[in-house]
Amino acid sequence: MNDLPVAARLALAAARELVDGEVCFVGIGNPSDAALLAKHSHAPEITLIYESGVVDSDPITKPPLSTGSPSVSQGAKMIADGLAVFSELQAGRIDVGLLSAAQVDPRGNLNSTVIGSYHSPKIRMVGSGGAHDIACLVNRLVILMPHDPRRFVEKVDFITSPGVSIRRSDLKLPSGPASLITERARFSFESGTAALSAIMPGYDEEDAVEGLSWEVKKTPDFKLIERFGNKEVVVARSRFRHLYK
Amino acid sequence: MIDKSAGISALVEEHVKDGDTIFVGGFGHCVPFALGFEIIRQGKKDLTLCRSGTDILFDILIGAGVTSKVVFGYLGNPGIGLGHAFRRAVEEGTLAYEEWTNMAMILRLEAARQGVPFLPSRILQLGDIAGASVDVRTVNCPYTGEKLACIPALEPDVALVHAQQADKAGNIQMIGVDGDTVTGAMASVKILVTVERFVETAEIEKMPEVTRIPGYRTTGVAELAWGAHPSYVEGAYGRDDDHFRAYDSEARMEKGLADYIRRYVYNCADHAAYTEMVGKKRLAELRAQSSGRKIV
Repeated sequence: MNDLPVAARLALAAARELVDGEVCFVGIGNPSDAALLAKHSHAPEITLIYESGVVDSDPITKPPLSTGSPSVSQGAKMIADGLAVFSELQAGRIDVGLLSAAQVDPRGNLNSTVIGSYHSPKIRMVGSGGAHDIACLVNRLVILMPHDPRRFVEKVDFITSPGVSIRRSDLKLPSGPASLITERARFSFESGTAALSAIMPGYDEEDAVEGLSWEVKKTPDFKLIERFGNKEVVVARSRFRHLYK
Repeated sequence: MIDKSAGISALVEEHVKDGDTIFVGGFGHCVPFALGFEIIRQGKKDLTLCRSGTDILFDILIGAGVTSKVVFGYLGNPGIGLGHAFRRAVEEGTLAYEEWTNMAMILRLEAARQGVPFLPSRILQLGDIAGASVDVRTVNCPYTGEKLACIPALEPDVALVHAQQADKAGNIQMIGVDGDTVTGAMASVKILVTVERFVETAEIEKMPEVTRIPGYRTTGVAELAWGAHPSYVEGAYGRDDDHFRAYDSEARMEKGLADYIRRYVYNCADHAAYTEMVGKKRLAELRAQSSGRKIV
């Protein structure tokens, strides 16, 4: 288990969030890896949708560099356009979205825009892309973050993609982040703030919250996950060579 | 038939004016690099560039000094990292920008395509994007009372598009990933297109459902094989991922970016010189990576 690289363990941990048969709007990188891992193990009937308009594809042999890369279309059942897939998202027809970002805070707000102040940033990043839209509109949001304390902040420098908010119901938006997954742990947003709900195989409670800037509570159903599914681990080892760099 | 065919330099010279708002087509696929490079060669100025998710062509057009403003949802080198010219320009305060989201940009273009001043949406009512670089107004639905964001129309002056094939009347046929390319093209006043090959109108008529831009809307079309390199064209050639990686390391420093632009743009008198520099061997490798899916 411990010989698996962080990115593979993160994908294994996040793949657990996906239920067979769901329709899944995925970002590139860790989110796409997690969704593909689920599709090739416990959830063969999930439908992957990329914001470029590609529907129900299976780019496992060459993980795409972007949602417009050639391999995104591998095995696609439909190539629509951005308008079509964002429309599906807004109409509430997409079950789950997977996102990653540079910073996350305890309310599940995500930042992929700037480090520092907006108008004179220390680091200018790529901006929202479709991340804001997915965070606002998808029925259930799963956040993936490698466990890096610098990324887990009390308050994100800029809210690119909104987390839990009481304003969501007034605006008739879905409830937003359901879980935050690291390679070490699962955090749940049921109470409105990220609370520790599970520890991933190979780690303990101390590892799970190491360096986090906020006080982490445990959920009533808190548990230790002793092992990932055999099939998932086999797929991670055999099909995700790109994660072993 | 009205013949819309022209050479690429005539297209850019005649139809791209200083100060224009340019929609840059291509969502990773069919990015119109040759048209963009020709704009740099001709020394156009003060352009506003727009699209949802950008490719490095956007960053190159910033670095080359032809751009004074960008309107975007994502600005970077997809899957690799930041747009270095963009980052420098923002950090130095030398570039105006409006930052939206990918869906917002698509809705902005779609509103212009439909000829309405805005489209309502549920996005941009939470978080920090609205109010940071853009003003987003809201409306209460006159039927339901729901509060919605008004995503304002954006009508570009000129769209740049690359596609697989067209006839000389400008009926543009494209397969593969679209993203917001057709939406943005149809939103624009003028549409400039390069295609891998010209075909007879009789060929277009065999599969009219893959015509994405009709001849009457096309301003001009040039035949230019490899016009989307280093991006890819479904059925023609694969993506030159190494080129994108090399750009990432070169463009980190201003001098590296200037060298890149000199090598690929100024030192190549035209597109033929560009493909010659990329080299037959490399082009053959990319040709071999193609999916082979064709318009029949």
